[in-house]
Amino acid sequence: MNEILTSIRRTPYQSLAAFLILFFTLFLSTAMFISLSFLYGLLGYVETRPQVTVYFQTNIPQNEIFKIRDKLTNSDKVESIKYVSKEEAYKIYKELNKDNPLLLEMVTSDILPASLEIFAKKPEYLPELADFLKKEPGVDEVNFQKDILDRLLVLTDILRKTTIVFFGFLIFLAVLVLTTTTLFKIALKKEEIELLKLLGASNFYIKKPFLLEAFLFGTTAAVGSFVIILGILFSLKPFFDSYLKDITQLNLPLYFTQLTVWPVNLTFLSIAFLLSLVFGIGIAFLATLLATQKYLKI
Amino acid sequence: MIKFENVTKKFPLGNLALDEVSFDVEDKEFIFLVGPSGAGKTTILKLIMRESVPSEGTILVDDFDITSNEFTQVEILRRKIGMIFQDFKILFDKNIYENIALSLKVIGLPDDQINDQVEEALELVGLSKKTYDFPIQLSAGEIQRVAIARAIVGDRDIILADEPTGNLDPKTTWEIMRIFKKLEKNKTILFATHNTDIVNSFQKRVLVLKQGRLTKDQRKGGYDI
Repeated sequence: MNEILTSIRRTPYQSLAAFLILFFTLFLSTAMFISLSFLYGLLGYVETRPQVTVYFQTNIPQNEIFKIRDKLTNSDKVESIKYVSKEEAYKIYKELNKDNPLLLEMVTSDILPASLEIFAKKPEYLPELADFLKKEPGVDEVNFQKDILDRLLVLTDILRKTTIVFFGFLIFLAVLVLTTTTLFKIALKKEEIELLKLLGASNFYIKKPFLLEAFLFGTTAAVGSFVIILGILFSLKPFFDSYLKDITQLNLPLYFTQLTVWPVNLTFLSIAFLLSLVFGIGIAFLATLLATQKYLKI
Repeated sequence: MIKFENVTKKFPLGNLALDEVSFDVEDKEFIFLVGPSGAGKTTILKLIMRESVPSEGTILVDDFDITSNEFTQVEILRRKIGMIFQDFKILFDKNIYENIALSLKVIGLPDDQINDQVEEALELVGLSKKTYDFPIQLSAGEIQRVAIARAIVGDRDIILADEPTGNLDPKTTWEIMRIFKKLEKNKTILFATHNTDIVNSFQKRVLVLKQGRLTKDQRKGGYDI
């Protein structure tokens, strides 16, 4: 440990550059990981909402609605359909407006339309289903969430692609800076390394101090950047609480289980931190191995 | 045991550093390598350390054929050898203890054994009272003694000394040679030098090199070139 601290003291600017590049790489990548997790969670949430809701004219008999429901069920494009009768619609209306007696007095179940809530198997089927429903007799209005889904899909896709490109650039930059600083340190220790080789030191013995320094930088950069991310996350919590007030939980499919990303919890934060730590140490190790392999020729 | 069999070393530009050199060195033997600058003394030492490989011929060190393409145990070979240089090759940012301990750390000895061996070596070279001094606080002769201590610790059986007294005044030279006198019973020593007085006074085997050729192999010889 003393040897590593001495090495840092002897090359303070190079060490600072190495630490800062790792710190910013980890800060941005962890922030992006958390943002993408939220967006995918939100996407998953929206996909579980009724994707097409069709409202019928109030005078249309129930059996006509069921005929349409059966046609949809047989189309192979629908995952499930929920029928909401006039009475059920009135119950929902009453629940939503229980604090407003005036609105409750003005409305009876007769004037509320029956509806079908349709879940498509794929988002691409939504326009087709909507077009079909608009042509059916007795249909008053067709609402579908394609726009919201589309916008979310586009946003997620842009963020994912940006992240990949940005990630690539950041990793390249971090490896470049770390390799250069390690090379500088190797140059400073050239005499010692030559002597160690003559004394019979193994390759690993010579590389070890550089690898330990990389480990130290990777760990401190991961911890430092994560502490700042936590600070930002908790300072924005009141905003998220009000913005996502109707959403009790956002989940991310993770192999055979679901990872809860909202509300923010210990498991999600632990995974984010572990990824950041492994990523930080990995980059630092990679750069060190590149520098030692190429220029120590050991 | 060290054995050179028809060893030739050509440098990349074609100049000949060694030309078909053959000799044997027995265990615990003390040999002087003498000859003018450029005769090939340092080349022989570097070949034994496997800092370079010969263009032709075979070199055996103990059980190792170090010229074989299949030889990969350079670290193990070097742990048998202690090297002493004219320019000392001491690390000035480490104290005397750390400089000597380096030789033992690379072979993975535990701290208590390192302590014992460093103390013993410092005792032998007469620097026990300067264990934690830094090289800048020492004279050239004392620094060379540190280098000798570093070369002998860790049960290194072979000592290669490349003009170790080349930078020292006559008085210090003889102090250093007294240390070699103490070592000769337990180590195989190859000592490259220009110093006629040293060679003549020790009366050991002498290998004389001229322009890369071994011109004389004299038992209990002197330096008569």
